[in-house]
Amino acid sequence: MTALLVILVFGPLLGATVAGLFGRRIGDTPSRVITTGFLFLSCFLSWYTFSQVTWGEWGGQHIVRLLPFINVADFHSDWSIRLDALSAVMLVVVTSVSALVHLYSWGYMADDPSKPRFFAYLSLFTFAMLMLVTAADFMQLFFGWEGVGLASYLLIGFWFHKPTANAASIKAFVVNRVGDFGFALGIMTIYWMFHTIRFAELFPLIAAKAGTNWTFISQEWSALDLAAILLFIGAMGKSAQFFLHTWLPDAMEGPTPVSALIHAATMVTAGVYMVCLLSPLFEYAPAARTLVTVIGATTALFAATVGLAQNDIKRVIAYSTCSQLGYMFFAAGVGAYQAAMFHLFTHAFFKALLFLGAGSVINGMHHEQDMRKMGALWKLMPITYAVMTIGTIAITGIGIPGLDLGFAGFYSKDTIIEAAWAASGSPAGAFAFVVGVFAAGLTAFYSWRLVFMTFHGTGKWKHDDHAHDAHADHDDDHGHGHGDHGHAHVPHESPWVMLVPLLLLSIGAIGAGFAFHEYFVGEGQVEFWKGAIFNGPHNEILHHAHLAPLDIKLAPLVATAIGTIGAIWVYLLNEGMRARIAANGGPIHTFIYNKWFFDELYNATFVRGAKFLGDLFWKGGDQKIIDGLGPNGVAAVTAFAGKGVGKIQTGYVYHYAFVMLLGVAGLLSYALWAWAR
Amino acid sequence: MNLQAIAFYVLSVITVVSALGVVSARNPVHSVLYLILSFFTAAGLFVLLGAEFLAMLLIVVYVGAVAVLFLFVVMMLDVDFGSLREGFVRYLPIGGVVAAVLVVEMVLVATAVGEQGAAKGSGAPDILLDAPNTEQIGRVLYTDYIYFFQAAGMVLLVAMIGAIVLTLRHRPGVKRQSVMDQVARTPAKGMRIVQVKTGEGISE
Amino acid sequence: MMDFSGAVALALPEIILAVGALILLMVGAFGGDKSTGLVSVGSGGVLIAGAVAAAYGPLGSTFNGGFVADNAAAFAKVFIYGFSAVGVLLGDRWLKRMAASKFEFPVLIVIAALGMGMMASAGDLISLYIGVELQSLALYVLCAFRRDDAKASEAGLKYFVLGALSSGLLLYGASLIYGFAGSTKFVDIAAAVQAGAGQGAIFGVVFLICGLAFKVSAAPFHMWTPDVYEGAPTPVVAFVAAAPKMAAMVLFARALLQGFPGAVGQWQQVLVVVAALSMGWGALAGLRQRNLKRLLAYSSVTNIGYALLGIAAGTDQGVTAMLVFMVLYMIDTTGLFACLLALNRDGKPMETLADFAGLAKEKPGLALCITGLSFSVMGIPPFAGFWAKFYVFKAAIAAGLWPIAVFGLVASVVAAFYYLRIIKTMWFDPSPGRTDASPLDARGVAVAAALFSCGLVVLALNPLDTVAKLAAAAFHLS
Repeated sequence: MTALLVILVFGPLLGATVAGLFGRRIGDTPSRVITTGFLFLSCFLSWYTFSQVTWGEWGGQHIVRLLPFINVADFHSDWSIRLDALSAVMLVVVTSVSALVHLYSWGYMADDPSKPRFFAYLSLFTFAMLMLVTAADFMQLFFGWEGVGLASYLLIGFWFHKPTANAASIKAFVVNRVGDFGFALGIMTIYWMFHTIRFAELFPLIAAKAGTNWTFISQEWSALDLAAILLFIGAMGKSAQFFLHTWLPDAMEGPTPVSALIHAATMVTAGVYMVCLLSPLFEYAPAARTLVTVIGATTALFAATVGLAQNDIKRVIAYSTCSQLGYMFFAAGVGAYQAAMFHLFTHAFFKALLFLGAGSVINGMHHEQDMRKMGALWKLMPITYAVMTIGTIAITGIGIPGLDLGFAGFYSKDTIIEAAWAASGSPAGAFAFVVGVFAAGLTAFYSWRLVFMTFHGTGKWKHDDHAHDAHADHDDDHGHGHGDHGHAHVPHESPWVMLVPLLLLSIGAIGAGFAFHEYFVGEGQVEFWKGAIFNGPHNEILHHAHLAPLDIKLAPLVATAIGTIGAIWVYLLNEGMRARIAANGGPIHTFIYNKWFFDELYNATFVRGAKFLGDLFWKGGDQKIIDGLGPNGVAAVTAFAGKGVGKIQTGYVYHYAFVMLLGVAGLLSYALWAWAR
Repeated sequence: MNLQAIAFYVLSVITVVSALGVVSARNPVHSVLYLILSFFTAAGLFVLLGAEFLAMLLIVVYVGAVAVLFLFVVMMLDVDFGSLREGFVRYLPIGGVVAAVLVVEMVLVATAVGEQGAAKGSGAPDILLDAPNTEQIGRVLYTDYIYFFQAAGMVLLVAMIGAIVLTLRHRPGVKRQSVMDQVARTPAKGMRIVQVKTGEGISE
Repeated sequence: MMDFSGAVALALPEIILAVGALILLMVGAFGGDKSTGLVSVGSGGVLIAGAVAAAYGPLGSTFNGGFVADNAAAFAKVFIYGFSAVGVLLGDRWLKRMAASKFEFPVLIVIAALGMGMMASAGDLISLYIGVELQSLALYVLCAFRRDDAKASEAGLKYFVLGALSSGLLLYGASLIYGFAGSTKFVDIAAAVQAGAGQGAIFGVVFLICGLAFKVSAAPFHMWTPDVYEGAPTPVVAFVAAAPKMAAMVLFARALLQGFPGAVGQWQQVLVVVAALSMGWGALAGLRQRNLKRLLAYSSVTNIGYALLGIAAGTDQGVTAMLVFMVLYMIDTTGLFACLLALNRDGKPMETLADFAGLAKEKPGLALCITGLSFSVMGIPPFAGFWAKFYVFKAAIAAGLWPIAVFGLVASVVAAFYYLRIIKTMWFDPSPGRTDASPLDARGVAVAAALFSCGLVVLALNPLDTVAKLAAAAFHLS
């Protein structure tokens, strides 16, 4: 088992190392083959591991200690691989999506000059993510956390010659720093309280500390709440929750496979994963859970509204991701961690599918991302159209509640909404339930809007000469275009190497919910999780959720139906209406279109403020005071003194003799003065 | 106050004053003469201490040889001492301050030590009166101090080598008298008989 | 007092040198110019024999306490005689190239080495003074050896006049000490100071420190150093910069630690000031130097400051550090001067910074040597100079002298500038022209020193440390 897990986790690192360090030497194709090969190996091993954990002999928790990391006094940290149901699920999600994205990138990045670098980054990301999900203590969790952050930064800025990509990568990194600050403080708090950062040692200790109070910023805090909230701030940054969400839409500057892998399926879900992993902590931190619920629900609503008005195909999906992450968080917040994990699992498939499908569209449209310039693509890109439709049905969660039969999103999202209903005894729970249902409608609206604007209606691309002229030049430069057709300006279907991952993912999008809901959230959940997720003694949310009456179960479906019909009305039947709404605007449209003015607000406050402070310290503090007195000042004084000292060296013997006598007199005086004291 | 004390104060005052004269006299010849005077009085102080041999050495070596050599050098070398002394007034104030500081400090220490009587019990070794001064020096010079004596010899050797290295020149083409050559000279070596033909002369 | 044979056995290294010098002098005097080569070889042999005798000789004290043969003396002598032999080699070859060979040159080096040996073994103020004078006198002559060279003569004269002044200070201090302590022997002085001879004798110590500071060229008594280094023939400077400094430092340590162990607090303060002045002055004054020999002079002033810090610590560890520092410094400085000796352009020595432009292309090997040795003197780990400074600073901090150690670190940062400038000039500036072929002897010494400082030192450090500890133990300190 050890060897298998080590290969599973470190295979991608090996691939990344080879492709990253020797990519130029060994060439593009070997780099791609090596990285993709290792990923598929990992993927295969992950599924094997998952099956062994779920049905086989590897149930329960296993911790494989690889190497000691830090041993200082009673602070111990190891490099290890933790295997339980939770990490097994994550292994499957991460390696499956990653492997398919690797494969997909063969086609998508076919024209890119630095393929080895891209594949090395992808594999590096995968390794970091695997370290994160298999962490057995906070140190390694943090290592993985930062590792994926680094890979994300590198990949968002992969096209570093684009200023917007650079800005976006920096933004992602900086916003994540804010979250990581909270995360680090949370880890320190945990260590301060429990003197251990190992999960296995930590979790049994938590119950005893419930109710302990701490003074922090001269306020009394429940100690566990404080720790949980600080950790959750880290999760907010990584998972782009309300207030710290601004980086995610901008991160779409990266190549689309990156968006699919990192900013939809895996990295952004790390926050959710962490909250679920720390369920023993959050179970005893009611205030923190309330915060999680409120933030999650707010994000779900906020992102869904913003998604309504965006025109960039990737940004729509990005806000959709944001919104779905909100669902996961409020599920965890009300105590249905299983539901959160389940939604994470299904979401990975259909969201990766949507992103890769969008990538296929972008590829076919010659790197055009504006949906207003698309339309009527369904004939030209039938397979992409089919898989996008599947993905949309999956995310909107269409299914038949009575029969428990539907697409992936149906199972997971409805479970979450039912769980929120079950928790609606508390205000936060009630808020979450209302938002969940309402956002389901919005989700349906913007998802269908995307499909209709892209694939239906009239093809706006036919009139746009400028874009494909430029693109034709581009093709001439490289001597080969997309595919083998003669007319580069006509949108075309993507090559098979891109379509195969799409088809595989659509199987997941259709069947993942049906196949696994019994295990994740159904009757078999206790047996499935085997204690990897902890529910407090009074937490029977999941049980209550199943007992929800039919009208509650129908509520999200109704909302979805309304949203769908609205989308059909606006985008399919009255095609001109969209433009009219956009033109007439009105405050609500403006507000939504501008993403609630978050970027402007942050710019005005944090960015400007920080810039002002930075300028103050840089120009005033560093240049004038520190450099002036420090390096430059010392250098100037040194040069001046050197000049003065040099002048004494006149060459006259009597001057020298005089200096010597001065020295004698000076030393004598000093000696007498010193001794007299 | 006995005669010895009077002699001591007279001699020491003259020593100090003449030492001042050495450095302050305008005429270098006068400086050397002051130096000789100060040697003389210092020799007198040695006599007062009962070190007649040292006193004689001082006069014979320092006055008789060293100082007179100085005098010759000063008189023979045509050095413009006026120009050398140009900076004297300019440096006098600061030089004076340094000197004054040194003097004050020495006086301070001397009085402090005098009050505490620090040197008690470890004065100079007693002079044995069983032998004359010269013999006593001779006794330790070749026994206890043989090392220093020999080492001092090496110092003198170096001085000699140095003087030779720095001044001895073997100039080519300098005509020197060689007695050996002169004595060994024979008619055969010294003469050549040449038959001179008429009207041709000798051309060599 | 020991019997005669015992005394001879203890002083055997010095006797070998003295007798050897006399014999060689006779050989030279009667053999004429033809015998110069023989005298040189003989001098080298005598020096090496002296080193061997010092290394394996018996330990003890003789000549009524005037001569001490202990581990510290033996340690110093081995290196002094060894480096003097290198001086003979470099000087002899150099004179031959200048067509100015004289048999007195090696003999004077032997006699200077004899003086240094006496300094290292001095157990008495008189032997201290005579040793210093013997060494100094020989060095004065060596500096002015090329009497037709105006600069060399000036250097010799300046050295002589200022040296006489410093001898005056030394003597004045010695007589004060004798006057108050009633003895010239260090052991007796220590006892007298312990008994309360106190301030008067310690007043003399200040003068003694001043006089010895001149010999090691510590500020503010270093004024002669740049002029002499610049004017004197380079092989002489290579000699003057290494062995005499070692001798004077050991003498310094012995006079202060054996003569005044009870007054560490008092002389430590003075020595710290001298050390600080040396470090600061050397570092600052070197900044504007464009003549490499002058620059190395200031470098030596700075480095002596570090070495003095070891003595100022007044501990066993401090003396060990000083000894290790001096050995490593001697190697560095000899190597650097050998590099200078090896470099000529159109028959003229290359001495200014501008001459070194583009040397890396002309003479990559020597440029590499200079670079390595400069890094070493700068104190970049893991080169020799780093360990030297590391030892000294460690000892100083252990003795509570951390402010001065910090000051020393700052000074070494400032001083790093001028070494870096040399390196930059050599590697990045365009060359003004071809250099002459470099002589084998100088090149060999340079390469050997560079190899040691940049690599072998790591191996040598441990044995060196062990031996230096043994030597330092001779002073019976805590």
